[in-house]
Amino acid sequence: MRQLVDSFQSPLFRRAVLEAVLIGALAGAVGVHVVLRRLPFFVVAMSHATFPGVAIASVLGVSLFLGGTTFGLLVVAAVLLLGTSAVLDSGSVIGVVLGGSFALGVLVVSATPGSSRDLSAFLVGSVLTVTPADIATTIVVGVVVLLVLGGLHKELVLGAFDRRGAAALGYRAGALDAVVLAAVTVTMVASIPSVGTLLAVALLTVPALTARLWVERVVPMMVLAATIGAVSGLVGLCAAAVWSVAAGASIALTTGVCFLASLALTTAAARWRHHSALTTAPAAV
Amino acid sequence: MWHLVSEPLQVGYMRRAFAEVVLLGVFGGIVGVHVLLRRLAFLTEVVQHTVFPGIAIAFVAGGSLATGALLSGTLAVVLVSIGGGRRRIDPDALMALLLATFFAVGVIVVSRRPGFQSDLTALLFGRILSVDQRELIDTLVVAVICIVALILCHKELVLRAFDPLGAEALGYPLGRMDLLLNIVVMLVVVVAVRALGTVLVVSFVVTSAAAARLVCRRVGSMMAVAALFAVVSGCVGLIVSYNGSIHHGWRLASGATVVVALTVGFVLVASGRWLADRIVRSSARERRGPHPAGEVAVTS
Repeated sequence: MRQLVDSFQSPLFRRAVLEAVLIGALAGAVGVHVVLRRLPFFVVAMSHATFPGVAIASVLGVSLFLGGTTFGLLVVAAVLLLGTSAVLDSGSVIGVVLGGSFALGVLVVSATPGSSRDLSAFLVGSVLTVTPADIATTIVVGVVVLLVLGGLHKELVLGAFDRRGAAALGYRAGALDAVVLAAVTVTMVASIPSVGTLLAVALLTVPALTARLWVERVVPMMVLAATIGAVSGLVGLCAAAVWSVAAGASIALTTGVCFLASLALTTAAARWRHHSALTTAPAAV
Repeated sequence: MWHLVSEPLQVGYMRRAFAEVVLLGVFGGIVGVHVLLRRLAFLTEVVQHTVFPGIAIAFVAGGSLATGALLSGTLAVVLVSIGGGRRRIDPDALMALLLATFFAVGVIVVSRRPGFQSDLTALLFGRILSVDQRELIDTLVVAVICIVALILCHKELVLRAFDPLGAEALGYPLGRMDLLLNIVVMLVVVVAVRALGTVLVVSFVVTSAAAARLVCRRVGSMMAVAALFAVVSGCVGLIVSYNGSIHHGWRLASGATVVVALTVGFVLVASGRWLADRIVRSSARERRGPHPAGEVAVTS
């Protein structure tokens, strides 16, 4: 406990907490759209595909956010282009593209002397070294993404549940898809400094899945997922400080523990409700 | 030109690396065709990350990496199979969850050691140049057993891929067949993990089969082409990485170069296919003459 109090004295740690909570909330809310549209494989693919962009940007010394986003959008274009050939299914195309782009990133980093430390920082994050600029990026990305998702909320939800209906009503389903994919990509890139590319997958899927176990409606789901993401950021970071383990991984694992606990609780609650329904109203069976 | 190939072959560790790439290429290519037919690319990606905690624990505890990988890979495959039957959870979302949490456990275990970044890099990207004779034999044995199993069940697996309802109606145990294929995918990842690490294996399996799919139609020939493609591109990658590092000081990581070579090969095959399609189409158009209706029919 004393360790934790000491940690909070340090401005670096307080900054890390702020970043982890902000990213957790943002990724949790965006994650609801990922889960509704069944995009988890896309998220995993983007976690690998933004990596070479980040690596190249870091070698060239330009903004990591810009590099990651640019490369990520290029990869999305490649997937869409190859997907039109109709010989290969989209899953295989994503597999080819993510493997290749990830290897390219590794190649770029390995060709730069003395960079294995940077490599692991990209992959699993390094939240204790976030800069005020990273936090500012997170805030700007968060505000823009949430405004866009909020403004198009009705259309996006319609598109997720009833794509044909949305198209029949005159909405451009492809454009709506592109909005969600772009929101996921920028959120992913914004979370690289704190949790890294590979563990951003956890924040973008697990809190939303957990929230889905508890609530049915989309807006409460987003609020709950954002809360779970933010709390996991805080708890994971504190756990990392107490046991001195990697912070990004500890945040990701916290979301997993939340999911397991929620699964057990909701399953038990459903059983209990089912059981009491059976005992009070046997005629209904 | 020949010395580019003959020179690395003089070096003992390069000979073993070539042998490992050939074995993994044949094994990965053949399994990859099944992965492609059954659309298991995401499963492969998930399995390659879920073996990581087993490797990390084995590494920290000083045990055998392959055993650790096997144990945690098996656990993940079992969880995927159990969770796949539940209605409340989307299978893709479940796989992403397993990937992220398993991976996080691995990183936490490794991060308990001081200066863990370089260990992490080695475990993630492998050390193909330090493959020893025992690992080669392990790879060979596992590959032979899996390929024999796949050949014995070939007809049934292909039927199940193309016509699951028909296979079920004929009384084949679909659940057990799916489990067999999942286990084979896991075994590819486990034997490849020492050499390629846990994030590059997916390319050996998915990319080579996808390239073969672009040029063949029959399953048997697709397997032969996929294996050949993986072996040739893998060896080209090793040669480039060796010569680049020894003679030009480029510091090309061997595992990553092998995978980039596979991807470049795929791009070449895909553009060749695209060009061939265009030529076929334009010659068909010429034969028909400049008729607007014919043009619409051909391009649509």
